[in-house]
Amino acid sequence: METAMATQAQSATPAGSKSPPRSPKGGRGRSGRTAVPWWFVLPALAFFAFAALVPSARGALYSFTDWDGLARDYAFVGLDQYRALFSDGNARSALGHTLLIAFAVTVVQNAVGLLLALGVNSRIKSRNVLRVFFFAPAVITPVVTAYLWKYLYSPQGAINAALDSVGLGAVGQDWLGDSDIALWSVVAVIVWQFSGYSMVIFLAGLQSIPQEIYEASDMDGAGPFRRFWHIVRPMLAPALTINLMLSLIGGLKLFDQVWVMTQGGPGGATDTLSTVIYREAFQFNAFAYSTAMAVVLTLFVIVLSGVQYGYLGRQEKRNS
Amino acid sequence: MSRRILAPLTCLAAAAALTACSADGGDGGDGLTVTANSTDRVPMDAVVAAFQEANPDTEVTVTYADTDQLQSTLRTQLSSGTAPDVFTVWPGNGNPAAVELLAPSGYLADLSDMEFTSRIPEGDRPVTEYEGATYVVPVTYSGIGVIYGKEALADLGAEEPTTWSELIDLCGTARDEGVSLLALGNQTPWVTQLVTYALAGTTVYADNPEFDEQMAAGEAAFADSGWQTAMEKYLEMEEEGCFNEDPLGTSYEASVSNVAQGDAVGLVQVATTLSQVQSEAGDTELGMFALPATDDADQTLMPGSVSAAYGLNAESADSAQATAFVEFLASPEAQDIYATEGGTLTALPDEDREIDPALTTLTEFQTEGRTVPFMDQRWPNPRVQQAHFTVVQQLFAGDVTVEEALTEMDEAYEAE
Repeated sequence: METAMATQAQSATPAGSKSPPRSPKGGRGRSGRTAVPWWFVLPALAFFAFAALVPSARGALYSFTDWDGLARDYAFVGLDQYRALFSDGNARSALGHTLLIAFAVTVVQNAVGLLLALGVNSRIKSRNVLRVFFFAPAVITPVVTAYLWKYLYSPQGAINAALDSVGLGAVGQDWLGDSDIALWSVVAVIVWQFSGYSMVIFLAGLQSIPQEIYEASDMDGAGPFRRFWHIVRPMLAPALTINLMLSLIGGLKLFDQVWVMTQGGPGGATDTLSTVIYREAFQFNAFAYSTAMAVVLTLFVIVLSGVQYGYLGRQEKRNS
Repeated sequence: MSRRILAPLTCLAAAAALTACSADGGDGGDGLTVTANSTDRVPMDAVVAAFQEANPDTEVTVTYADTDQLQSTLRTQLSSGTAPDVFTVWPGNGNPAAVELLAPSGYLADLSDMEFTSRIPEGDRPVTEYEGATYVVPVTYSGIGVIYGKEALADLGAEEPTTWSELIDLCGTARDEGVSLLALGNQTPWVTQLVTYALAGTTVYADNPEFDEQMAAGEAAFADSGWQTAMEKYLEMEEEGCFNEDPLGTSYEASVSNVAQGDAVGLVQVATTLSQVQSEAGDTELGMFALPATDDADQTLMPGSVSAAYGLNAESADSAQATAFVEFLASPEAQDIYATEGGTLTALPDEDREIDPALTTLTEFQTEGRTVPFMDQRWPNPRVQQAHFTVVQQLFAGDVTVEEALTEMDEAYEAE
């Protein structure tokens, strides 16, 4: 039965996930048909280079100087800023928080997003309304939702009041003021806001699975769990890859919500690399040092997302 | 490309080029550009209106931004030559847009030759000058003390406490009546510093007025100084129930609302907060007193210093409009408008001016020379203030001891 299902799944791979035809040598050929798209890309690439790549590269150069962001001149100091970075306790602590947030957000947001997608992909009557309802938070500016949650989380806020009203007052917390739980309170907000976003990507993946495969699995007598594990899971691999990549990168770069809700507090308990970078550059005038930190964060994002992409890519190939 | 498409594109490009020309700041061109803190919107709007009435040919464009945004944008504008003609500058040091950081880089025009410099009170000169030259026009004077509702205090059957023992007793009385004596919003980092400043004014400077100079010379440290007493008293106030529950989960805005709604009698704040408390509290009569830190009322000192100040862009030094605006800011008329609309005191004293009754105590302390500058204005870099924010939050969370907190501040003071 499993073999039959796997064969059908393979033959019914969604068109969107198929690889483009390759030349006999394994790469793209030099024929006119494949060369034209590169010309189309050039204007956008030139603009991207002008607006993002070149300024970023020039900015990274400052990490090898002692520029304070104000002085009219500066000196090259080699790797001094990087050496200082690795002996900075605050930066290490912020790195730990950043990795923790990125990991937690990636896992929980996608688990919730997948459950929501499975729910609204069913035949329940209100599925369209629910899809809008779950996706709605994702279209709101993060700063706005952060202010909203800051109010809800306050000791006299709606969450504690609601708990109190149902006799669970003892469960109430100082959600953002307690250094033991503030980080998780921030994570909860991000999961709340972006689970709907993950849901939409999963939903697109679910809807590209042909109905015939489900029907075949029904005929083979597969239950819901086996159907999920042997059909849905492998065929959702491309959607999972995108979701995991986006949530990991979003978690590593996190700034807005933390800055609005806690500014890294209480006592640095929610500081992330991004909040420390901002503070070093714009509050401490340590522009070169903050640039070094930003370079390290960029490398982190590239390496972690590269490793993740490579692993998930191999999983996708194995599944197909 | 067809002419139908090209024509609007050409117009758009021309419009963009023209806009770019007219938006060029710092050159004293056709208009005058000013950037101010958004907390000063009301008084600055009023001052600009008065200036334009006297100078109808000058177009003034004011941009307002919150402190964080203002400081980060200003540095970019200054380094790229697009800064406004006149902009908010923080007095003294210890802040990314403070006099002692901007003046050495040559971004501020030297205002020493202007008439107003002779009217700056002696005690405020250190925070308006760099190497003996004046670089900002001070506009308002503010202080840190307890802003409170007079009726709320009377309901407790109490008067303004003048000693530490009276203060602690009053905390108990308020608690017994089901309210907090003081609202505290330590979730907002800058709020964390105010109680320490209010206490350190007395515990540090009453016995040692030269403390800042000793710190600068490396002859003193936060640890083992009056700062230790101030921090310990801060925590004692927390233990005695002087503050609302969960100060670390309470924001500045919530603390103001607590006072306005009668959940707290008052709060330790800068005098400029009076207008915000008043706007939320309606007709409630407000007062302000110095936070006592010892049992000798005569020892009590109040943090008081230049609050709002403005600098002239060095690239606009030759602009007649820009210098006229700076001189206007120093005039008794503008100082009065700014202080009246902002609910604070003028930085350049004017004996004939009527003062908000709520500010009587601050005025008395200022007149009697019983004020000390805001501590961060004398610190050598912004890291000390940030370290102060962090350690106060950690103290309230029970994560560090007072000794560890002060050691961290000393390390920040020594940082380059």
